[in-house]
Amino acid sequence: MIIGKPLDRVDGPAKVTGAAKYAADQHIPGLTHAVLVTSAIARGKIIRIDTGQAARSPGVLSVITHHNGPRFAYQPPKHPWIYGQTHVPLQNDVIYHSGQIVAVVIADTLERARYAATLIQIDYAVETPEISVEANLDKAFIPERGPFNLRYEYRRGDAHGALATAPVRVSGRYRTSMQHHNPMEPTATTAVWDGDHLTLYETTQALAFTRQKTAEMLGVDQKQVRVVSPYLGGGFGAKGYVWPHTFITAAIARSLGRPVKLVLTRAQSYTMHGHRAETVQELSVGATRDGTITAFVHSAVSQTSMLNEVSWEEMDATTQLYACPNAELTRRVVRLNLGTPTPMRAPLSVGGYALESIMDELSHATGVNPLELRLRNYSTHNPENPSQPWGTGKFLRDCYELGAKLFDWPHRLPRPRSTRRDGGWIGVGMATAFHPTYVSAATVSIRMDADGKALVRSATQDIGTGTYTIVTQTVADALGVPAKSVRFELGDTNFAPSAPSIGSRTAASVGTAAHHAGSALKDKVIAIAVADHRSPLYGIPAAQVTAADGQLFHRLDPRRRETYADVLRRHGPVDSEAVWPAAPGISRSYGAVFAEVTVDDATGEVRVTRLVGAFDIGRVLNAKTARSQAIGGMIWGLGTALTEHTIVDEHLGRILTANLSGYLVPVEADVPDVDIAFVDKADPAASDIGAKGVGELASNGATAAIANAVCHATGRRVRDLPITPDKLL
Amino acid sequence: MKSFAYVSARDVPTAVSAIAGSPNAKFLGGGTNLVDLMRGNIEQPDTIVDITRLPLTGVDLLPDGGVRIGALVRNSHLAAHPLIRSRYPVLSQAILLGASAQLRNMATVGGNLLQRTRCLYFYDTAAACNKRAPGSGCDAIGGFNRNHAILGVSDNCLATHPSDMCVALAMLDATVEVESTRGVRRIPMNEFHVLPGDTPHVETSLAADELVTAVELPSVAVAANSRYRKVRDRASYAFALVSVAAALEVTGTTVTQVRLALGGVSAKPWRATKAEEVLLGAPATEESFRQAAAAELAAATARPGNEFKIGLAERTIVAVLRELVTKGDAA
Amino acid sequence: MRVNITVNGEARQVDDVWPGESLLYVLRERLGLPGSKNACEQGECGSCTVYMDGTPVCACLVAAGQAEGREVRTVEGLASGDTLDRVQQAFVDAGAVQCGFCTPGLVVAAHDLLTRTPQPSDPEIREALAGNLCRCTGYEKILDAVRMAARS
Repeated sequence: MIIGKPLDRVDGPAKVTGAAKYAADQHIPGLTHAVLVTSAIARGKIIRIDTGQAARSPGVLSVITHHNGPRFAYQPPKHPWIYGQTHVPLQNDVIYHSGQIVAVVIADTLERARYAATLIQIDYAVETPEISVEANLDKAFIPERGPFNLRYEYRRGDAHGALATAPVRVSGRYRTSMQHHNPMEPTATTAVWDGDHLTLYETTQALAFTRQKTAEMLGVDQKQVRVVSPYLGGGFGAKGYVWPHTFITAAIARSLGRPVKLVLTRAQSYTMHGHRAETVQELSVGATRDGTITAFVHSAVSQTSMLNEVSWEEMDATTQLYACPNAELTRRVVRLNLGTPTPMRAPLSVGGYALESIMDELSHATGVNPLELRLRNYSTHNPENPSQPWGTGKFLRDCYELGAKLFDWPHRLPRPRSTRRDGGWIGVGMATAFHPTYVSAATVSIRMDADGKALVRSATQDIGTGTYTIVTQTVADALGVPAKSVRFELGDTNFAPSAPSIGSRTAASVGTAAHHAGSALKDKVIAIAVADHRSPLYGIPAAQVTAADGQLFHRLDPRRRETYADVLRRHGPVDSEAVWPAAPGISRSYGAVFAEVTVDDATGEVRVTRLVGAFDIGRVLNAKTARSQAIGGMIWGLGTALTEHTIVDEHLGRILTANLSGYLVPVEADVPDVDIAFVDKADPAASDIGAKGVGELASNGATAAIANAVCHATGRRVRDLPITPDKLL
Repeated sequence: MKSFAYVSARDVPTAVSAIAGSPNAKFLGGGTNLVDLMRGNIEQPDTIVDITRLPLTGVDLLPDGGVRIGALVRNSHLAAHPLIRSRYPVLSQAILLGASAQLRNMATVGGNLLQRTRCLYFYDTAAACNKRAPGSGCDAIGGFNRNHAILGVSDNCLATHPSDMCVALAMLDATVEVESTRGVRRIPMNEFHVLPGDTPHVETSLAADELVTAVELPSVAVAANSRYRKVRDRASYAFALVSVAAALEVTGTTVTQVRLALGGVSAKPWRATKAEEVLLGAPATEESFRQAAAAELAAATARPGNEFKIGLAERTIVAVLRELVTKGDAA
Repeated sequence: MRVNITVNGEARQVDDVWPGESLLYVLRERLGLPGSKNACEQGECGSCTVYMDGTPVCACLVAAGQAEGREVRTVEGLASGDTLDRVQQAFVDAGAVQCGFCTPGLVVAAHDLLTRTPQPSDPEIREALAGNLCRCTGYEKILDAVRMAARS
């Protein structure tokens, strides 16, 4: 078995030598460069836009504004999924948010385009923008359910009644920040037309989305559009949907008759492809004195944009994680003059933070150890559907046990603000991680050549998670060949259509298709061998032949054997292709996260000193890549807890932290020792190979665990993220 | 970035001649701040005089026991220099707590003195900023000012000076040597940076045609027991919310020598002379430390967004002094 | 203007350089070396870290003229033929690579750390690499990779 082994990344050598070619690294002859000019104001109209000087600047080929902007064959609808937003820039003079595209300059070199962009003069009629969620709470409304079927309202039992009569009631008002994905690779697109066929070198988490929606906007057939993305420098949701800069670049390249490359600046990445919405949440829990939960009432408001009503921050953990007869969840939105929000790694972590914080508050109120409290309210059945047992796919109890043991979680916690070390207060905290498990249809094709090497292809992506590697392993296992005999190519719509890399679904979806394609190819070759009188396997029933290490052999008489290469040298290459349509049901994945922090007595600085995560991600496909995903996810949660916050000026609507020195992502020095454990039990309900997603699950839990540890250290409950020093003084 | 003429100077006379008479020319040292500002169209010089090849890279012991540091000594080199590590540990610590290894490798001493504020509005050309565009106003005053100044502020500007190194230099009473075609001038560190007043775009007492050539540190015996403490939002690679440079000598139970400077609180590295006055001759107790800190911060003016800095500065001063007492005892 | 640079041991002459171009731009756009990554162009992420005269710098903040006559070594110049440098090999072995975009800068920064400090402590590693942002790995495996390379 190669699956599960900590196989080194097959793309590792290309990445450590600089040989891996990302979207902006492609060399294209005759390339021109586009630079975006964006709105300085957040609301109003353009009353004059003077492009004369820019157009005359050396090297400039074209200057595009709303006066001469590309006109498109389609208008994204009110619920735009899988477009990122409804608004198409450069169509009229209206400004909805700061940082909106208002002009594009194309020149022969990047530096000349950049300079010319500074010469464009714009006068605006400025209106007062709406920027604050808090100031607009009275205008909050429940959105229509869009095509993604996001859930905004849910109730069971009598939550308010049960809360009113509960012996113990705890309520909290939690605030989470606007955040930006900030993958290290800036978003880039290069559009190259050959006649009426378009090739896009694109930073995308979903080749198929980009192809479908770019074709729709440009009024061409999908077959005329090829999207290429062999390496992606992270996405985390920012590159998941199709945003205007992509089809605008393609349209400009078409009218210009030249290839055009656009790379967003770091600052532009803050307004071009969404962000995690700020939320204000009120959450109450009712319980008996022994901590048995009787009611949850959870009401959240999050920001949305002027043209789109959407909130991606689903809060299903409140209604699905713990056994509780009465629950009510309401999610509202307010329209602001900011861009349209989009999913960011682990949308459920926002509500999960509030839920796992209130669990900690309930623990303080009842005196029940936080871990025991969670076990006391463990759900064996879906609380939303009591007739549906969670079955064999829920191993949360194992997560609690594994994590508590690794962390040495105390049975009895010392009082808050009672443990000191080196001028700081020490605290520990824990939280449950919960995430739905999504899957998508995937297709994988394999050709095995006469040398016995398998070329595997699928139009999916490796966004850094390890798709290249786990598919290589899965196919090698299914075929019974060494991993080095398998080469996997992805990132090209010329390959078989496959799964998007959003919602932690790639490994389970593409991995399952890869397993089936590999098995099918093995069966084909066995069938050829047993029918071939030149083969040592001739005449053996196919079911009695199997393969290992590149050799096909008789199960009962392993001396009768030959290699794949032996068979294929006689018969020529063999192809297989498998489509996995994806299971209809949604499974869940779970975890338990434990944190220890030190809070400086004098300054309020919080440093995480230890993190432990135990996760139920189904079957572990690669111990090395899964572990790395889990650590990365937990540190992602650390950023949400302590450092990350997009700051917007409330009068101007400008994002003030549109860079990496104002928007603080965790650095190497913030990271403590991290321990990870996996339950590693297959969940056949999630996918045929028993795998579930890991990237987002692991980003859940850490935020609340750290916040709970801070409360345990200091005795202060900060309900407003991130927990910066000023909030603890 | 706007087009500009590029000149590379090989010696100081050539460099200062190249800039004389060109009011919109700039010297380019390590470039870690200037190149970024030019790319953001915040600085738009006509001419760049690259001074990285000037022979101003020495770190030399002076006859009086002080140290002379060439203006082009790289930050990382200075922080690691044995003379600095042994005699002025506070300076070494301050430099190493600033920026990142890559930036310290490029950044020069002269450039560090002249770095511009990190006020978020200064960097956003769509916002009003009296420092960037004199007379345009200050959006930080009614806006997001959590990172902003509480000492020496004016109604025109709340920006802070972002340097860590300069806080240590202010504490050490360094002198800045500058040169132009008109000759050489020496400016005490405390007079090098100026408060915003009505002219926040004027940040130093350096004339437009003057080149920083060296920084001189006097011999400061008490600096052997010194420390730099930086409070920030993440464990490394972030600007100071508040920082404290301090040196302390306690004889018996009495403070016999003390030096104190603050960063992250003003448009200049803030020498805490009021606190020093309170401490000198006072018993080295928590109570004295608190009184001294309160005396220094008594003149602070804060906005709702940065009010926390007053208490934070006081607590950090006390914590650093407490640590120096313990450390001094151990030594 | 003309800029002469030695890149990965090879003398290169670049003509018609605009003074506003950065060393990173010259490497990526003019010399065909896209290994060094442009992720922030403000010196804030370390993805463009290269050696200049033996010292790691952010190539995005080096004006082209400042590179005149300098020796530059990029991530493309660390391996000897097909044999990876020990830092590169350790990054692969430790699983310190995910999306790979920060990797070239980190490899150069870690390479420099081990050149100057052959046996760094954990705090030294954490601080030395604090200028290289990574959004995928959570850094823990990068720490492992540096420890591993120090042992090899």
